[in-house]
Amino acid sequence: MTTRRRFLAGLAATGTLPATGWAEVGAPDYLAAALFPDGSYRLAGLRASGEMVFDLPLPGRGHAAAAHPFRPEAVAFARRPGRFALVINCLSGQRIATLDAPAGRHFYGHGVFSRDGRTLFATENDYDAGQGVIGLWDAARAYARIGEMPSGGVGPHDMVLMPDGETLAVANGGIETHPDTGRAKLNLPFMEPSLTYMGPEGEILEQVAPPSSQHKNSIRHLALRDDGLLGFAMQWQGEATLHPPLLGLHWRGSDPVFLAAPEAEQARTQGYAGSIAFSHDGTRVGITAPRGGALHVFDADGHSFAGAHEIADVCGLGAGPSGFFFTAGTGLIGRLGQGRPAGLSHSGCQWDNHLVALA
Amino acid sequence: MIRVFALCLMFFPGAALAQSPLVQQVVDSHVLPGFQTLAQRTEALKAASVEACTGLEAPYHDAFDAWMAVSHLRFGPTETQDRAFAMAFWPDTKGFTPKALSALIADQDPAVKNPAQFSEVSIAARGLFALEFLLYDAQLSTAGEDGYRCDLIRAIAEDMDRIAVDILSDWAPHYAALLTAPGPDSRYRSDEEAAQELFKALTTGLQFTSDTRLGRPMGSFDKPRPNRAEARRSERSLRNVILSLAALRELAALLSQGHPGTAAELDAAFDRSIALAERLEDPVFAGVATPQGRFRVEALRNSIDEIRAIAATRLGPQLGVAAGFNSLDGD
Repeated sequence: MTTRRRFLAGLAATGTLPATGWAEVGAPDYLAAALFPDGSYRLAGLRASGEMVFDLPLPGRGHAAAAHPFRPEAVAFARRPGRFALVINCLSGQRIATLDAPAGRHFYGHGVFSRDGRTLFATENDYDAGQGVIGLWDAARAYARIGEMPSGGVGPHDMVLMPDGETLAVANGGIETHPDTGRAKLNLPFMEPSLTYMGPEGEILEQVAPPSSQHKNSIRHLALRDDGLLGFAMQWQGEATLHPPLLGLHWRGSDPVFLAAPEAEQARTQGYAGSIAFSHDGTRVGITAPRGGALHVFDADGHSFAGAHEIADVCGLGAGPSGFFFTAGTGLIGRLGQGRPAGLSHSGCQWDNHLVALA
Repeated sequence: MIRVFALCLMFFPGAALAQSPLVQQVVDSHVLPGFQTLAQRTEALKAASVEACTGLEAPYHDAFDAWMAVSHLRFGPTETQDRAFAMAFWPDTKGFTPKALSALIADQDPAVKNPAQFSEVSIAARGLFALEFLLYDAQLSTAGEDGYRCDLIRAIAEDMDRIAVDILSDWAPHYAALLTAPGPDSRYRSDEEAAQELFKALTTGLQFTSDTRLGRPMGSFDKPRPNRAEARRSERSLRNVILSLAALRELAALLSQGHPGTAAELDAAFDRSIALAERLEDPVFAGVATPQGRFRVEALRNSIDEIRAIAATRLGPQLGVAAGFNSLDGD
């Protein structure tokens, strides 16, 4: 199991093996939120075999999670504009702590730990100012909130820690929302999405934006390859008759590359990419398009379109043993190797947007 | 110009009448008449502004009323070049409209004398809300020189009329044909997809009225925001809610005509909402600042959310809207 091997290798490198190891039977490879058949929102631990090893009730609809770098611990975030995040022991599925967004802030649903595991960074909305912030939470002190820094834009969503172990990459989606008006998008004509790289103190190192004709292409989700290649998935808020690229690839210091499927396939996405991931070996990058019921795969280095796979309401995506692992709102859990997607299991759970690989 | 369009419409009653009576009916009796009226009203507003830069309140309200009958039809021709935003830029969370207008006035920007240049000006300085500031705002209605402000009002009125004409001429016949005659390589591949576009207009229109037109001034219980009510300077906040509900009711009735049970439920729910709105007698939602007033606005909002629930759970499935967990409402 690749993800666990990599995880254990990481533990060996840091010399901080947890008392209870991941090798224990039942340890999950992924976390994913879902609407369960009984109507409850829960966070589930999944194995790469498709088996569910635990589930834990959430106070509301979940979104994504952040995995601790060496403790078997993850933080599951509420879906925006939610105000809760739960810290979970991934072996037992027990709740360890709860994070409550401070007054005037809500979570966007994503976050990441610092390399030493001491600090949790979370994308948050300073909604009265209409500005994005990165909240800092102290994982060593029961997740006390210790500060925040500007995200470099409006509507920060996904974020990752770059391979140097200190640079943060933030997808500023550019869309202003306010809890008073639910999920209404308040600034579409003036959107300015960006991919922002910042240092650990919040200093902005580099910002990348779509071309001005595509300023309504909201940069939302990120996937990082070990060598620093950053993939970003977008959601188009402009004219439905246009079908701009929904996938970008970026190396620090160079221009981003935008990739699209052939016109007919691209049109079927309805301008919406849900999740992004590199394959297990990093040679391929995939995005899911739930509105088009499709998983698009591209060659991560040659940039050619490698194919579209039809999977109804597919959204969650991660690296899997032989390529990709995915979940769908229909309850399907599956994998994609070199051939066609294969189902691993099917449950009554409506899997939500993302899955988080515990690696 | 307008007369020519009216004539065109008579000759394009849709090739696909037999295929798609539902969509055709919506286009013929809801969409096209709405945009025709809008173009007539903006033309009248433009003409009045050429006559004089004062006394424009009545044609302004007429044009705004006409916009409310179509403002939910946010797809296709209204989205080209941000036309709908250029016609009505609201909410304006960062105060771009007064800032952009003040800058034009301070700079005596010559774009007001050139329609092509004015169409490139920030959408925040164009359309109904920019005009509202110039007609009703204590500061902007007297800012700078009368002559320049008058040119600015005329430029806005002319620009709005151009936009209304552009939307209408895209709808008839081109976009109407796209919607009513779907095909495998077309924008709409089936009648269902075309009906779903109209259904989406209904649900997003209801959502905008509930979440934004009402939610924005309501704010939170601790922090009500009466100053954020839509078009409060011209005291149209409640009027816009009532007119949007009337327009959405018309669309809902057309979309549900094949399903009498749903049609009756929707009709009754709209009845309740509109009655609550008409009983409010609070034109700018000033009442949200008091617990009692807020309660009444909240009751109105809840009644609209009941319409939304009927649309989502009854009408949507009847129109074949596939409600995937992620595809319906992503993040």
